[in-house]
Amino acid sequence: MAYVHVEQAVKSFPREDGTDMLVLGGVSFDAKERGITCLLGPSGCGKSTLLNVIARLERLDQGYVEIVSNHGESGTRLPQLGYVFQDPRLLNWKRVEENLIFALRGMDVPRRQWDERIHTYLGLVGLLEFRKQYPLYLSGGMRQRVGLARALVIEPDILLMDEPFSKLDQLTARKLREDTLEICARLQQTALLVTHDVEEAAYMGDRIVIFSARPAHIVEVLDNPFSPLERDLDDVRFIQFKKQLLQTVLNLVKEKEEA
Amino acid sequence: MSSLNNFTPTGPTQREETLSVHSQAESLRGATEAPFRRAKPAAAREMLKDVGLRVGSIVALVFAWWVTSLFFPPTLVPRPWDTFAEVSAIVSTGNFFIEMGSTLRRVLVGFGIAMVVSIPLGILMGTLRSLESFFEPPVILGLTMPGLIWAVLMIMFFGLTETSAYAAVAVTIFPMLAISIWQGTKAIDKDLIDMSEVFHASAWSKVVDVILPQLVSHLLAAIRYGLGLAWKVVVVVEMFGFSNGVGYQVVRGFNVFSMKTVLAWAITFLVVMIVIEFGFIGWLERSVTRWRPRVEAWRR
Repeated sequence: MAYVHVEQAVKSFPREDGTDMLVLGGVSFDAKERGITCLLGPSGCGKSTLLNVIARLERLDQGYVEIVSNHGESGTRLPQLGYVFQDPRLLNWKRVEENLIFALRGMDVPRRQWDERIHTYLGLVGLLEFRKQYPLYLSGGMRQRVGLARALVIEPDILLMDEPFSKLDQLTARKLREDTLEICARLQQTALLVTHDVEEAAYMGDRIVIFSARPAHIVEVLDNPFSPLERDLDDVRFIQFKKQLLQTVLNLVKEKEEA
Repeated sequence: MSSLNNFTPTGPTQREETLSVHSQAESLRGATEAPFRRAKPAAAREMLKDVGLRVGSIVALVFAWWVTSLFFPPTLVPRPWDTFAEVSAIVSTGNFFIEMGSTLRRVLVGFGIAMVVSIPLGILMGTLRSLESFFEPPVILGLTMPGLIWAVLMIMFFGLTETSAYAAVAVTIFPMLAISIWQGTKAIDKDLIDMSEVFHASAWSKVVDVILPQLVSHLLAAIRYGLGLAWKVVVVVEMFGFSNGVGYQVVRGFNVFSMKTVLAWAITFLVVMIVIEFGFIGWLERSVTRWRPRVEAWRR
């Protein structure tokens, strides 16, 4: 398992007119080990940028991201990251299992483990019977499940998810949230989930990191008082917690407007 | 966030309601998550109708030809069956296979050369801005140059050798192939490249698994147009003084003013092209786009 520590992350992008736009204004937090950490904030606040920094697709201007994986007795090695994108980003010309193999090959997983891994993780997302199917013959929700399986099949130290449910219809998203939560709990997966949806954060996050609008800094970090199994969307106490979280975020927006 | 409103029950009755919403959600999900079926082959009747229309169109064409031939002497418009008899004579003597073989070889070699050069160049032009600026003018100029002029230039340069035929074909179709691959490369999904980086795909895997499959439809379109252009050029080159090939046979027909011979060679040529177009390229297209569902609901 692994732990993630972000320290004073600063990142800006060049604007068209040549000036710099500050996106991350010194962000620090620790992700929860063996749990899901939700990065919650308004759209365009830089949460996804931070996720891309962690995935090494972008570089920070200042500060650092520390990812340490301790693999039992064997000591440390380069941490492995699985990424679930907003769109599934599958290779549509490859069958479901070949999409998983693409990740397995890239991550140098020994070939003899492939079959068993594919079986395990496709089973976990409930798509075992679609192993030989092409992605475009699957529904949007199922394609997103393939994306999840592809991220999990490499048995990553950290699972990164960038608003993976936001393009799905409400009902499909709800079911996929449930399943993702259950899978992560069962695997004790350390995961980072970017979202702008307060309810989703309350439901998915073992730890919730609230971002301000751009330039992003961290307003509050709170641990979910409910364990994954206790989060019943219809439970009055849980609803209370969601309301409270929503209020916190709303106040933030208001403060911003007044400022 | 507005969806929160749906989840604020306070009393037991409301709670029941949300529960029922949940079960409804489950059943609806079943419906939306159902996978698309692979498009079934059109019903046999539909297919028969389709074939009927195609055959009918050809019969109508031959009929129109026959009607026209009634108004002209056979030296100007030969009767369809006389021409077909000539076709079968050409084919049965074995002459056809030798002549068509030479022409096909010239097309394929020239085509192959153009492909080998244009694929890497097109990919590089689509990825590197400096190469794009450098190669864009010659490619566009090449596209505007008529194939006839290339044919003349190549024959003057290489003489009446096979090389001049290969070169003329290659040079004529090269700009078009390069342009479609260049444009196809520019349209590649950057998100998939990011994805392949996240999963540490090797450079080879990026090209073979991620980039080339996205170029397939551009390549197929380029091959179609390219072949069409290649036939035209190769016939012109052969007319200039080769002693074999379909172009030469057509010129021979012209020299003795035999409309029948010219038309007969044109027909054999068309048949071979159709076999290549529908047989080989159609098969190629079906086998490389098997992953894409056929959605033709909008067509009538």
